[in-house]
Amino acid sequence: MDAAFVNPYLTAVQNVFTTMLGIQIAMGKPELKHNKLTSGEVTGVMGFAGDKKGMFSLSFTKASTLHIYKSMVGEEAQSITPEVVDCIGELTNIISGQARVQIEKLGFKLSAAIPTVIVGEKVEISFITKVPVVQLPFTFQADGIDGQLYLDFSFE
Amino acid sequence: MKTLVVDDFATMRKIVKNVLKQINITNVTEAENGQQAFDILTRDPEDYELIVSDWIMPVMTGIEFLRACKADEKVKKIPFVMVTAEAQKDSVVEAIKGGVDNYIVKPFTPDKLREAIEKARAKAGKQ
Repeated sequence: MDAAFVNPYLTAVQNVFTTMLGIQIAMGKPELKHNKLTSGEVTGVMGFAGDKKGMFSLSFTKASTLHIYKSMVGEEAQSITPEVVDCIGELTNIISGQARVQIEKLGFKLSAAIPTVIVGEKVEISFITKVPVVQLPFTFQADGIDGQLYLDFSFE
Repeated sequence: MKTLVVDDFATMRKIVKNVLKQINITNVTEAENGQQAFDILTRDPEDYELIVSDWIMPVMTGIEFLRACKADEKVKKIPFVMVTAEAQKDSVVEAIKGGVDNYIVKPFTPDKLREAIEKARAKAGKQ
């Protein structure tokens, strides 16, 4: 596991959740991921190129996704609509931008593509890297929801 | 304060409008890209008091839109705030060279956006 990249992602997720959503989020124990399946129901995916090649994904449970949409857009959604998917794409983009700034401080210049959002549980994602995927699990509580999200990344 | 919000993502326009609403800016027109926004502004340049634009958009990007605005005698007076997730230093320099009145990196709070707007309006001589 390349532990150097854990902190940039932790900082990015916590910063974005606190600033944009007003949510305090806690990280669980980072671990190596042993399967290729999405951990949540809505997953934003982004690739990177530059000094390092890699990918990261941000996977949310349905309840977390709907709460995030309500917090960001100011409207309720009952299901995963195209607007909700866009919202997760934007959130992925913002967290990616924040993480890249932190990674730049480690001396690596990265450029990113446009995020892709996958809807569905246990969908197979093949990371383009040959090194193991690290998963950072996060939890939050807001409006009676036990929110969960999973950030997976791999750089080589 | 009549405001033009420019972003290719409809949901992001809603997000920006939601934050603007929290700082009592509710008179908002939307555009999907720089070209559409520039066409709206050149039709009624006196109508608008603020532009809040994304950076990465198809057809005409935020930086191209900024340059077009600042090259137009009537439109250039409208305070221009660039909103982007692109936090790299090169982008900030490019926006400043393009004449941006202020620049805000996502994520932002309503207070941070209010502050960015106030500074942009002051720079553009609107306060």
